[in-house]
Amino acid sequence: MPEKLGMIIDMARCTGCQTCVLACRMEHALEGVSGIRVDTVGGAGRDTAGGCFPHVNMQFLPVPCMHCQRAPCIEACPDAAIYRRDDGIVVIDEMWCNGCGLCLESCPYGVLIELPDRPRVWKCDLCAGRIDQGLEPFCVTCCGTRAMRLVDLNDPGIKEDVTKAGRAPRALKADLETEPRVYYRPVRG
Amino acid sequence: MQRSDKPIRTICNLGCGMGCGILAHVKDGMIAKIEPAEFPDPRYRHLCARALATVKLTYHPDRLRHPLKRVGERGDGKWQRISWDEALDIIGDRLTDIAARHGPRSLYWQTGGAGLLDLVYARLAGCLGASAVSLIGFGDAAGPCGDRVSFGTLWGESYQTAFEEPRLCVVWGNNPAETQPFGMRKLLDARDNGAKIVVLDPRYTPTAALADEYIPIRPGTDTALALGLMHVILAEGLYDAPFICRHTVGPLLVSSATNRFLREPDISPGADGTRYVVWDSTAGQPCLHDAPGATPSLTGFFEAGGGECRTAFQLLADMIAEYTPERVSGITGIPAEIVRNLALDYTRLKPAISFRGMGLQRTFHGDITFRAISTLAAITSNMVPEYPRTFVPNMRAFMRAGGRCTFVPVLEMYDAMAGKSSYPVKSLFIAKHNLLNQIPDASRIRTELFPNVEFIVVADLFMNASARYADIVLPACSFYEQNNLLMPPGGSPGVHNYLQLQQRVIDPLPECRTEIEIARGVAERMGYGEYFKETDDEFVEVLLTSDHPSMAGVTLARLKDGPVPLPPFDVPGFMTPSGRMEFYSEKLVDQGEALPVYIEPLESTAGRETADGKYPLVFLNAHTRYRTHSVFANVDTLRVLDPEPVIEMNPVDAGARDIIDGDMVRAFNDRGRAQMRARVHAGIMPGVVNVNQGWWPEDFVEGSHQDLTHSVINPAQQAVYEPNAALYDVAVEVEKVREG
Repeated sequence: MPEKLGMIIDMARCTGCQTCVLACRMEHALEGVSGIRVDTVGGAGRDTAGGCFPHVNMQFLPVPCMHCQRAPCIEACPDAAIYRRDDGIVVIDEMWCNGCGLCLESCPYGVLIELPDRPRVWKCDLCAGRIDQGLEPFCVTCCGTRAMRLVDLNDPGIKEDVTKAGRAPRALKADLETEPRVYYRPVRG
Repeated sequence: MQRSDKPIRTICNLGCGMGCGILAHVKDGMIAKIEPAEFPDPRYRHLCARALATVKLTYHPDRLRHPLKRVGERGDGKWQRISWDEALDIIGDRLTDIAARHGPRSLYWQTGGAGLLDLVYARLAGCLGASAVSLIGFGDAAGPCGDRVSFGTLWGESYQTAFEEPRLCVVWGNNPAETQPFGMRKLLDARDNGAKIVVLDPRYTPTAALADEYIPIRPGTDTALALGLMHVILAEGLYDAPFICRHTVGPLLVSSATNRFLREPDISPGADGTRYVVWDSTAGQPCLHDAPGATPSLTGFFEAGGGECRTAFQLLADMIAEYTPERVSGITGIPAEIVRNLALDYTRLKPAISFRGMGLQRTFHGDITFRAISTLAAITSNMVPEYPRTFVPNMRAFMRAGGRCTFVPVLEMYDAMAGKSSYPVKSLFIAKHNLLNQIPDASRIRTELFPNVEFIVVADLFMNASARYADIVLPACSFYEQNNLLMPPGGSPGVHNYLQLQQRVIDPLPECRTEIEIARGVAERMGYGEYFKETDDEFVEVLLTSDHPSMAGVTLARLKDGPVPLPPFDVPGFMTPSGRMEFYSEKLVDQGEALPVYIEPLESTAGRETADGKYPLVFLNAHTRYRTHSVFANVDTLRVLDPEPVIEMNPVDAGARDIIDGDMVRAFNDRGRAQMRARVHAGIMPGVVNVNQGWWPEDFVEGSHQDLTHSVINPAQQAVYEPNAALYDVAVEVEKVREG
């Protein structure tokens, strides 16, 4: 059975440090944009809390590409430039992308970005090049609290492993039925 | 990614001190990419967002590339480009002239850098018989003062955090989620093993957000909380009497008349020993503390040595008796029930470890806070009674080869610049240190004090706040362009204990010079070239030539292969005069601080709702993940995430001042003002405001946060080690800036 690569992100370990954002920029030589972003869940701006002091809340949510099983971007692309590899990674083929931008609106997670210096669209490719060398995505490698894990979702041990302690992983916007392959363990069970 | 050259292992060396390893990939002489380097222990393979931004920092278009000589007035920003020979000739001439007229100690070297080779400037100052400024005091000296009293070492964190599997982690005034990735890792791993994480902070930081329990506490009142916790522990009889008796000054008798420990001659007239005295409860009389078979009393008052005396533990108990949970609640703002529950947690969830952060250090009596928390750990036996092990390189041979320099605490520089010391500052050489950005009361330094300094040199990477006020500016090298030797980051929980080489990855950018090259150039002009002939490797070998057991087998060859772990060796327990943990210190009797007493903050109102008067808000200037001190303020890749200075305010304080999120506001006090936007949100205690430090003056609309801070010296800290800048013990008011 081919690997079904995905990620499990533990929100009880994510401190919102933005290292993954800088790591992605380093790995893919990006200026000002990144294949992953880290959102603040709490107050209105980055690093702000919601609620009323001292009953406040703040969490951090790293958002890479979800590498959806039913990826809307693949359907939206008129030139079939976006495709899924056997291991599940969704990639944009730069040879075929002409930067039309029709995919941008199709993604409910907002992970498709226009490159500032080139007429094409780019997104997180789970560092497919590193994966092919047996390495992890660079964001996973650099994460200081080891909040992110690259996983094989076909491995039965994975589900067991992550549902212990009552913090079963959940997908974002699961109701949209894009079947994302990035899961989040909540801060509390 | 194509890599043409063999990757080079170096370290990220910017002053956070964590010593993370970098594997740098070079292509065509330029750094193409960096990644975290391996350590034998995989937990330490890490680079944070800042480390990843160091490549952009190194190739920043604003890097200084030529020596510059001032034309016009200081601060005008007008420069003439000169050659290195001209620059070094001018420096040599001016320093020689100033030394001849004012004496060599009027030459001051204020140089930073976390690597041991950065002390090459101290070596030069030594040759000259000059003054070198100790920079610990600009915010990091209160903890060392406290730990020197408690333990006899400056870096005593491991006494409270060395436990491998804690069940309770209490984080006081510390935000490792933003500032100490290894510490955060230790907390999260402990939590996975079942530990409870409690965070005490006036701000709801990212660390607080991941805690099991967040306890807001008024800034500067943590000592009172520690005393309150001890009150509950004593009242419930939950202290560890045998541990206190064996490892602390608890049982030692203190004379009520002199407030000093009894010594052997006090109970055996004619004897001349210095040993301490305890009360043997079985025999009903005093005896020496190490008398075989004695059963020392831990509490009580007795007649001995010709007068009344009490045990040190009795004195502590007497002081703590006043700090009921209700009284502590009034001081700290923490409900009495929470004080009580935390105290019980300390004794129930053992081992309990305490992370003590810079937030504690930067209140005026931060040294006492460190002592109070250590006392809490000692009386509950949440303490590993083992002197911290670290490498002890041969600093003497490196720094004193040509003579000794005199170290001057940074806070004493203000009087020295004003001419109020025996050795006024007549020249100031600044390197790897953004003085005007990072030390308090900056506008006073610029306007009143610098005019008294005849000659100022700054060696740095950028035209920053300090370089702007120099007479000569020298283009320095980044850590990628030079070699160094880095000690492990002692003093913080969860950090590694490896000695590492920082290895040059790329050649210095043309016309930039390393610290060693700069020091050598000045030395040669002043007749001390013979002490600077060594290569970088030879200097490292000087440092490694040490008989200390920590350096056994540590060679340059091994270091070139990778990080070298600390070898095992025996260590004492404590290095205090008594050899015990000293919660009672004779050194501070005259200051009234023999015990870890609670004293109100100097200036700040500690966030009390009833605070009135001109400046009712506590002004914090905490450290954030987007900068390391003042580094990265000008680096786009991080700047885009944190675009401008903002002052964090609670909606209650903002509403009372007609301020909404995003409004332009002015923070001010009698010393100065700073203008920036308000960030109004729920994550900060009412009565407290915060600007994340490290911004450059030009980033503010007007003024800067360091115009608000002060340089008041704490005499007790001065007596123990070095006075600390109480950067967060500052009172301000904030007002909306009206249009028109």
